[in-house]
Amino acid sequence: MTFNDRIFGVLMIVLAVAYGWGASQLPEPFGGSEAVGPETFPLLLAAVLGLSSLYMIVRPDPDNAWPWNRTGLELIIAIVVLVLYAMLLQPLGFIISTLLAVGTLCWRMGARPVNAFVTGGVAGVVVFLLFNFGLDLALPLGLLSFLEVS
Amino acid sequence: METLGFLMDGFAVALQPQNLMFGLFGAFLGTLIGALPGLGPANGVAILIPLAFTLGLPPETALIMLTAVYAGAMYGGRISSILLNIPGDEPAMMTCLDGYPMAQKGKAAEALAISAVASFMGSLIATVGLILLAPMLAKFALTFGPAEYFALFLLAFATLGGITGKNPMKTVVAAAIGLMIATVGIDSTGVQRFTFNVLELYEGIDFIIAIVGLFAISELLFFIEERAGSGKEKITVNKLKLSFKEIMHIMPTSFRGGVLGFIAGVLPGAGASLGSFISYTLEKRLLGRKGFFGQGDPRGVAAPESGNNGASSGALVPMLTLGVPGSGTTAVLLALLISLNITPGPLMFTQNADIVWGVIAALLIGNFLLLLLNIPMVGIFVKLLSVPPMFLLPIVTMVAFVGIYSISNTTFDLYFMVVFGVAGYIFRKLEIPLVPIILGLLLGPEMEKNLRHALDISDGDWTILWNSGLAIGLWIFAALGLILPYVVGPILRRRMRQQVGEASSTSD
Repeated sequence: MTFNDRIFGVLMIVLAVAYGWGASQLPEPFGGSEAVGPETFPLLLAAVLGLSSLYMIVRPDPDNAWPWNRTGLELIIAIVVLVLYAMLLQPLGFIISTLLAVGTLCWRMGARPVNAFVTGGVAGVVVFLLFNFGLDLALPLGLLSFLEVS
Repeated sequence: METLGFLMDGFAVALQPQNLMFGLFGAFLGTLIGALPGLGPANGVAILIPLAFTLGLPPETALIMLTAVYAGAMYGGRISSILLNIPGDEPAMMTCLDGYPMAQKGKAAEALAISAVASFMGSLIATVGLILLAPMLAKFALTFGPAEYFALFLLAFATLGGITGKNPMKTVVAAAIGLMIATVGIDSTGVQRFTFNVLELYEGIDFIIAIVGLFAISELLFFIEERAGSGKEKITVNKLKLSFKEIMHIMPTSFRGGVLGFIAGVLPGAGASLGSFISYTLEKRLLGRKGFFGQGDPRGVAAPESGNNGASSGALVPMLTLGVPGSGTTAVLLALLISLNITPGPLMFTQNADIVWGVIAALLIGNFLLLLLNIPMVGIFVKLLSVPPMFLLPIVTMVAFVGIYSISNTTFDLYFMVVFGVAGYIFRKLEIPLVPIILGLLLGPEMEKNLRHALDISDGDWTILWNSGLAIGLWIFAALGLILPYVVGPILRRRMRQQVGEASSTSD
């Protein structure tokens, strides 16, 4: 099967066209236009990407299988965990969010839940202490801010 | 001897207690990174860049530390090749051929020690080569004009896939994507390009975020998919019994390997895997009948190791003198230079002489440190090999988060990193190489600057790009870099596989 490269090639051609159109709409720089403007290099890139993507469509490589089964679900879980980690880092604080994120990732990768979350907690506390006291860099405390000693 | 004086100054920089300490720390960390499965050198250096910033290290210290990490990672790659028959990275593949049979015969400690000595020799020879060649090349590069630089950047992209690369067109696609990402932001004439009025995009996309996302996060996703969750079986290493005579026995091999590796490292498009491959096959041909290659010949361990370490030091030559990296890891080191506000290239040798020579001296000192570190402490590294990735990779991910967060204390960057991670996973599935994307991000602004400059000089006449002999030569090499993989690539790849195939069938 050779769908992957073809689909990706089509998407990239769309990108190249959109990008090239965007570049041609760029305003003229202050002081009038010169031989080469801000749009020259992007237009060149759009052409290169378009042509090389066309080649991918015409002569695609064989596909690597996508994980449509349970593994795919695990991947989605991992991505969701990463997004939530980024989202909750400030409100929950570094230690709690790390406990949850690293713990969940270890657990989903096959560690026993207790071990997983202990690892997450220990890693969170150690890195927090290292950064805040060793390197003088404030990571957010979040919910644990009542512990703060100033 | 002007060079010698500079080198002495370099030693003065590298031997300052703080720099020496961070160099040692980097060497240790690097060996660890190289030894751990799934953490290649490029990946390891990338994760450590933001941390080097948060530590607030002065530029030369940061660079010395990360150069030591780079050298250490090349040392570390061999540990899992020898003990587990799993190469830590691609260049270490050839080390498996004789290293693993040696370990099976109960001579793991000897194999590790020999590979450490050979690595040391390879790096030493290549570092000497670097000291001799780099200043000359830098002087030559001063004659380059903008048109030549533009052609040189093209050459870098064209040869990045390497002669053994699979599909050069995918390298082109990747490079175009990287360069496109680099155009986001306000350009040199003050025009906003592709910012969509998002404030965070005005200054462009920070390549460090992209690098960490593409490498570290996509690695996590790949590991989850392969379900390589549990640790490797425990390996015991015997007590070391290595005589001076045995060390001398591998010296000629290591020397040849180092020289060949250095040449492969300097040439665009060859790289460390080819360096270790060439030096192994040459050694086999040279000593074929007298040796027992493939069944645990010590020289079969020494040859690829010295070749691969020679190549990794050789790869620093084009990176330092021309600002054009020849491999993924040197691309990441280039990222570090740019973010330290040092413009790599020939001018660096005059403007930042202390830094360049400090790094070169650090490379020499780092090699001694690594040799000292590696022979007695190999037991510790072996123990770390049995840390299961299911604990390791989440922690590495956390370190990546902390590093990126500490750059600007915003979560916007973290989302961006995750997006790059998912994109990296998809690219790797499609076998689109990640390194040209990163190189595009790094070189994009310089490349555009040189193109504009050249065309401004010629008043819009595009023929200026191939108007000098030098530029034409660069264009020809760039074209060859794209065409040769179609011709020579399949043959070379088949040969490499044959070697590995033969060895595994004889050792089973």
